[in-house]
Amino acid sequence: MNSFLTPAIAGLAAGGTYALLGVCAVFTYRLVAVVNFTGAAIGSAGTFALIALTESGYPTFPSVIAGILVGAAVGVLIGFIMTRWFAEANSSTKAAVTAALLVGLIAIGLRLTGGQHPRVMPDLFPGSAFRMAGVEVTIASVLTIGLAVLFTVLSDLFLNRTRIGLHLRALSDRPLAAELIGVKVRLLSLLVWGATGAFTTFALMIIAPQRSPNFMTLSLLVVPALAAALVGLFRSFWLTLAGGILLGVVEGLASSVDSISQYRSAIPFLVILAVLLWSQREARWDEAR
Amino acid sequence: MKRASIRASLIITIAAVVLGGAIAGLLPSYWVFLATSVLITGVALQSLGLVAGRTGMIALCQMSFAGVGAWTVGYLNLAEAPGGLALWILLGGLAAVPLGVAIGLPALRLRGINLAIITLSFAAAFDVILATMTFPGQTAFIQVPRPALFDSDEGYFIFALIFYVAIAVTLEFLARSRLGASWLAVRHSERAAAAHGVSVAKAKLSAFAISAFIAGISGGLLAGYLGTLVAENFSMMQSLSLYAVAVMTGAHFAEGAIIGGILVVMFPEILRRFDLPQDIGNVLFALGATQALSTGETMSETYRRLLRKLAPKRTAVGSASSEGDLPIRTEHAKGAALTVDKLTVRYGTVLALDGVDLTIPAGSVAGLIGPNGAGKSTFIDAVSGFLAAYEGSIKLGSSPLEGQAAHLRARAGVRRTWQTNRIAPELTVGGYLRLAAGNLSEAEVRAMLEWLDCPNPETPVVAVDAGTRRLLDVAGVVAARPAVILLDEPAAGQSHEETLRLGKRIAEIPARFGSSVLLVEHDMDLVRAACSQVTVLDFGRVIASGPPAVVLDQGAVKRAYLGIEESVAA
Repeated sequence: MNSFLTPAIAGLAAGGTYALLGVCAVFTYRLVAVVNFTGAAIGSAGTFALIALTESGYPTFPSVIAGILVGAAVGVLIGFIMTRWFAEANSSTKAAVTAALLVGLIAIGLRLTGGQHPRVMPDLFPGSAFRMAGVEVTIASVLTIGLAVLFTVLSDLFLNRTRIGLHLRALSDRPLAAELIGVKVRLLSLLVWGATGAFTTFALMIIAPQRSPNFMTLSLLVVPALAAALVGLFRSFWLTLAGGILLGVVEGLASSVDSISQYRSAIPFLVILAVLLWSQREARWDEAR
Repeated sequence: MKRASIRASLIITIAAVVLGGAIAGLLPSYWVFLATSVLITGVALQSLGLVAGRTGMIALCQMSFAGVGAWTVGYLNLAEAPGGLALWILLGGLAAVPLGVAIGLPALRLRGINLAIITLSFAAAFDVILATMTFPGQTAFIQVPRPALFDSDEGYFIFALIFYVAIAVTLEFLARSRLGASWLAVRHSERAAAAHGVSVAKAKLSAFAISAFIAGISGGLLAGYLGTLVAENFSMMQSLSLYAVAVMTGAHFAEGAIIGGILVVMFPEILRRFDLPQDIGNVLFALGATQALSTGETMSETYRRLLRKLAPKRTAVGSASSEGDLPIRTEHAKGAALTVDKLTVRYGTVLALDGVDLTIPAGSVAGLIGPNGAGKSTFIDAVSGFLAAYEGSIKLGSSPLEGQAAHLRARAGVRRTWQTNRIAPELTVGGYLRLAAGNLSEAEVRAMLEWLDCPNPETPVVAVDAGTRRLLDVAGVVAARPAVILLDEPAAGQSHEETLRLGKRIAEIPARFGSSVLLVEHDMDLVRAACSQVTVLDFGRVIASGPPAVVLDQGAVKRAYLGIEESVAA
């Protein structure tokens, strides 16, 4: 039993991160209609700000705050580009822009952080939270999953219960029309970008010690994140949450099987393939009328 | 069209011979070596230009396809397969095709985004797989041999140049074919493409498969260029930055791919010489791509626009064409061309069409009128297959259309035009007509365009005004000579005289081309002039039907249509 449970639970921390990144991706898509390929790169920027600060001797807690602020700021910067020049562009163009920006962000990130050499990442939350069926559950996994659930609940409430949420949903469909009825489009969009930037940064800070923290590998966590978002069909926060956690668990399980462990990074691809094949059943036309 | 393809191909070939000769003959070996790299990157960029530039899809795993090509070449070399490098490279390209189809298939629906996600995840997965399995011969340092004839650096440059030119010329011909036009049409509007009988899935998949093939070839070329390869050559980051470059320079133009190749190869070289970090290049590509996306114009398009301004204006010589050149009439079955029985369409709780019966007799022009929101466009959408569901039956001749997708209905003989302009602006007028109507001779195209007062075939659609584009839309479906033509407000945006002329033309369609017509129109003069029978819709119901003179005089029609009370009207 434990031979399955241990690796599965070991995957929970990653799963929580995927879930949180995925929910952020859905949040961004539903509110500002952008499939954001830079999501994880924005978080990486904040994470590396934290690393740089702790490396130069600053205490951990203020550095974490500073890092989250940097993540939010980079998010706002990307958001500014998107709202300034691409507010009325179609979703395909917007996705293309974020894909291009990802190239630039990774290049800048690698340059500033000394290339692909892993850096020392302070373990913010070491140790285990509790034991479950004889297996240690780390604080990191409890925290990432908790954060993911929190963000899911907040997003759900925000979008469906608040007036601002309603405004933002209007905005994602027709920014110009929303602006005409007096919604502060720019400001609200930038808030969305800043908030998702802050949340992803914190999630990546927690997971970074378990990965080889170089800017590129962290930025490419966007792949499992988008896989999770696809499980939720870019609509449902709860399905995305479940998809992300499941993805982490499956990865954990795969890493315990020697013959396939080295291929576990291919799992998001297989998940995406399966989800797309399944969701193809209903035919759809593109948005161009 | 053929002539334009041949001219473009000649330009490419001559430029390649002159520039290629100069580079191979005059430059020192090191620069020739770099120039070869430019060409190989250019081939990879051409593959990307096909999906990204022409079809408007986001593909982020081109270098993975290149990796497949390179791996195949390495494997064939290790297995001492016969045929030599040139053949192996082609086989490498072919090896990438099934993979491209397998990835493209599930991503066909939602445009762009799904493909972007799946290709990115594939690139990530491929990175890991390639790093684990290594290239054939990599650990034993077995080199991929170049062909004896092209063994030197100059020789291999020529070898790569031949591949580049062959691909560029092929793409030039493909781009001007009906398949190429269908790619542009799909990029612009999938519905409009389907309305021409284009299978959207086939168009996208063919673009993606051909693109994978070309990318595979670039990988094979790289194998011969470097001899031994490492997984790094085909990493995900390479794919991503290649995408940015393709978007920035416009890789679907032959010169765009070369400019992109020069940027990719020369930038790091220049930065290295100035002791600057080489990854600045990627930042600039990202900015360049963002800039190109925001203006909607790539570097190549900018250059072409500027060049056109400089070049003396050529006035197109319109060779006189006569009505005798018009495409010949197609015979269709007698009786009812289209029979619609109890058609009911619901949007949620709204009843858009409520038990509508309508018959278009063969060889006639029928009118469908009604106030805004009466359900006229919904009717056309239902008949042409653009609605997910409806009740009732629609028969073309004697065969029911239920269960057939839009593009199949179009092929079966139900063609439509659109209220909004959906013609891909990158096409020429003649190219559009061929997309809509299939194979027409040069004379037929000219005569058809003249018949409806459209500009000459070489005119780019961008340069055509909105009103004329609607006529062009009509010309397209009429030239296809289907059994049934559904015209959705063709006179919108036309002047009164133009409308009258259009009415005359529409009335001539059945006799001249053999098609039956359903005309949806607000302009009553046009309806009176063209239709032999009129059906009036109001709130989804048929309120009157019969000859125009009788129907348009009925009180109920006037009330519904003109908002006039019967007492006032009478």
